[in-house]
Amino acid sequence: MEAKHDVLVVGAGCAGMRAAIEAFDAGADVAMISKIHPTRSHSGAAEGGINAALGNASEDDPETHAFDTVKGSDYLGDQDAIQILCDEAPDDVYQLEHWGAVFSRTEDGRIAQRPFGAAGAPRTAYAADITGHVLVQVLYEQVVKRDILTYEEWFAWKLVVEDDRCQGVICWDLLNGGLKAIGAKTVILATGGAGRLYTGTTNAYACTGDGMTLALRAGVALKDMEMMQFHPTTLAPTGVLITEGCRGEGAYLLNSEGERFLKTYAPNAMELASRDVISRAEQTEIDEGRGVNGNVLLDMRHLGAEKIIERLHGTRELSLTFAGVDPIYEPIPVRPGAHYHMGGVDTDVWGLTSLEGLYAAGEVACVSVHGANRLGGNALMETITYGKRSGRHAAEWALANTTVTVPESVLSDAERELKTLLDRRDGERPWRIRDELAITMHENFGVFRREDQMQKQGDIVEGLRERYERVVVEDKGNVFNSDLTQALELGFLLELAQCMVVCGIARKESRGAHARPHDYPERDDENFLKHTLVTWDDGPELDWKPVTMTKWEPKERTY
Amino acid sequence: MATIETAEQTMQVKLKIWRFDSSTGERALKEYEVEAPEWVTLLDVLDIIKDRVDGSLAYRKSCRMMICGSCGMRMDGAAVLACKTRMYEIVQAGHVPVISAMGNLPIHKDLVVDMEPFWQKFNAMKPWLQPGYEEPPEGKEYRVSQERTKVIEKEALCINCGCCVSECNAMESSPAFLGPQALAKGMRFVGDARDAATVERLEDYSGEHGIWECTRCYFCNERCPKGVDPRDAIAKLGAEAVKQGVDQDMGVKHAKWFIKSTETTGWLRETELVPKTQGVISAISQMKFAMKLARHGKVPIPVPPHVADKVDEARALHKVVHEQGRLGYDGIVQGERALAKLDYHLREEDKTEETEA
Repeated sequence: MEAKHDVLVVGAGCAGMRAAIEAFDAGADVAMISKIHPTRSHSGAAEGGINAALGNASEDDPETHAFDTVKGSDYLGDQDAIQILCDEAPDDVYQLEHWGAVFSRTEDGRIAQRPFGAAGAPRTAYAADITGHVLVQVLYEQVVKRDILTYEEWFAWKLVVEDDRCQGVICWDLLNGGLKAIGAKTVILATGGAGRLYTGTTNAYACTGDGMTLALRAGVALKDMEMMQFHPTTLAPTGVLITEGCRGEGAYLLNSEGERFLKTYAPNAMELASRDVISRAEQTEIDEGRGVNGNVLLDMRHLGAEKIIERLHGTRELSLTFAGVDPIYEPIPVRPGAHYHMGGVDTDVWGLTSLEGLYAAGEVACVSVHGANRLGGNALMETITYGKRSGRHAAEWALANTTVTVPESVLSDAERELKTLLDRRDGERPWRIRDELAITMHENFGVFRREDQMQKQGDIVEGLRERYERVVVEDKGNVFNSDLTQALELGFLLELAQCMVVCGIARKESRGAHARPHDYPERDDENFLKHTLVTWDDGPELDWKPVTMTKWEPKERTY
Repeated sequence: MATIETAEQTMQVKLKIWRFDSSTGERALKEYEVEAPEWVTLLDVLDIIKDRVDGSLAYRKSCRMMICGSCGMRMDGAAVLACKTRMYEIVQAGHVPVISAMGNLPIHKDLVVDMEPFWQKFNAMKPWLQPGYEEPPEGKEYRVSQERTKVIEKEALCINCGCCVSECNAMESSPAFLGPQALAKGMRFVGDARDAATVERLEDYSGEHGIWECTRCYFCNERCPKGVDPRDAIAKLGAEAVKQGVDQDMGVKHAKWFIKSTETTGWLRETELVPKTQGVISAISQMKFAMKLARHGKVPIPVPPHVADKVDEARALHKVVHEQGRLGYDGIVQGERALAKLDYHLREEDKTEETEA
């Protein structure tokens, strides 16, 4: 065993760093493992903001925030978890500000807040359009201040499960090569999402669902895996994110006829309806021939140069670089793209999974605060509040329990398995499987879903998994062998894809991001007001779990 | 993810890459040619090469949207973010760019550098807020105006990619120099209204390899892909050090003498520059050299002082600075390339309209 810690956090984005800070402050010996440097984490790509009922831009309270979130989730969110998030959010945001987060400001010097989709008040606290970047920086500053150990560019490959407890992680040291075992009394997964399942995605190359698959392989259930959010404003062809903050600041969505088409789909909220509603509206416009080369247009010319430069300069930079369009003068072509996994590792409100010692926080987890559709601005908030809560709980548990066992055989078994992969010299390299997976997921498991396409996708993924069994890693070296880690990441993604398809087929209704207009166009609370659960036993096994309801009865959802 | 399965316009892209294997120390320039869609960036091309030509090619990447800072590398000897560099125009020009690892940092493999020295300097800045502002009311946020926040707007944009460090000439000759990235991070705190450690920081940052070791070559401003303009941040730190009386380093004495001499004579009083900067004893030891310079007409005779004809104009400038209170960071005019990369320029047609109006 390389080392051992009270708390070991896998992933060092907003959730991971917030968890590590909390565990450190609780007195635990904490370390983080991350396959990329903490400031490279994809939390930094979050643009628009973080939701908390600070009431700086208008009257607001956590109760309204909670209701908006419940409704936004299409009633699939667990209401106890949502209440906790909304109640703790304001203090958690103030803490970030006290640590030094460089928020934009109101005229009287408070944290500025802007309107976001499906929110009853301007609740999204922001730092221009680089909020995630600012939060990653401030959290990293606090990590440096505490001198928290980070195993940087170590790739987490397996969890160590011993005596029905998670007791560590097996990692590949990317810079020097070699498998290493790190023991831990508690492990917190904070590895983010799996957007790389799709070809057009806002997600970074690093977002390959590592933590979800680690949990799945350790026997822990994944929840609501069919719920992949498509963000309404991404740039063709690769899916770079254009923030919802543009619409928060007043941008319009237009079709090829120059119409604000949302008047047909969400006449009240218009461009500030929830993301699932807008993505479906866009896809319908495009499918019915009112798109512009497969896109719709995001028009912010009327906002004026000054506002665009002050509050949306990052968006302008992205738009100029990747679309060759200056939004001061021209509308930006945008389309729906895979953005956020509402589903993930099933946890309780402390981030604890069904496996003792294993926690999950942030996008990798499904507490569930987002249900079938996440509101913009709630993801960053979840990383902070639930990162903190899991860090605290894991530290408390670790400080009350003493032993860590990682048998030698665990590492030697892993080494043998890796050797088999590295020794293989004849066969297919992973990239074609990766591309086929991403393209077919987009075609068959996208904004709208059909039974036959989902069935077909199940077969496709199974075929890809068979091919993956014979995959070849070309680089046999020890130094920065990303050929190896990318192959391992593809293995993670393939299992998740299969889980998603199984859950998607089983949910015979339309709810939030799961839209089946051709066979089950309505929400069916009688039969499906419940979470899908999937575990792995030589293949995905489906189960269900009730939604926690406290005070909000399901109602029809319109915007 | 670059794919050629779609029916899009493609082009042939040629690249040369400096490959490096740290285990053997072997270094080689290899040429690659691949087919790629017209929209690709340098990063996309590297991906295609890694997928289809050589899986052992090593480079860092993650967000591919200019925010994670992973993919800093050199193209034709100057640092770029690979994900921000579009290939179309380069290919059209028939140019075959040479890609190599960033400078001023040891190489692990191919385009992957060892960032450890970079982060050590980052950490040396004590890069965390040391609050000491007015207590926030009712446990809420500190009150800071938007205008005051804007002081560190650009420094807060830094993504730690290392492009500035790669191109830093001062660091090339003095590897211990804190460098543009760390110093910009320092300014992020010195300029923060909520931070109480201003003087302590300025003293820290004014040490032997600090603020005054910068040679003002502006390569960092030139190469920063985010418009942080680290040289401007260093200038702000310098000005703030003078304002706060942190002026013991030779560099600051040197700078202060420039101010003094332009104010008094409108010229640089070169003869006095050395004693004012390095002290009298050090100056005496350099007398022989000074005499030699004088003999060749390289320095003017110090007495009587050489006063510029229009010295009043120089004095008026100094007066304006003082009257407007533009001391410290507030006196630093942003580099031309600053946010200019994103600056808004009226287009020709709008200019015409405006004139007509």
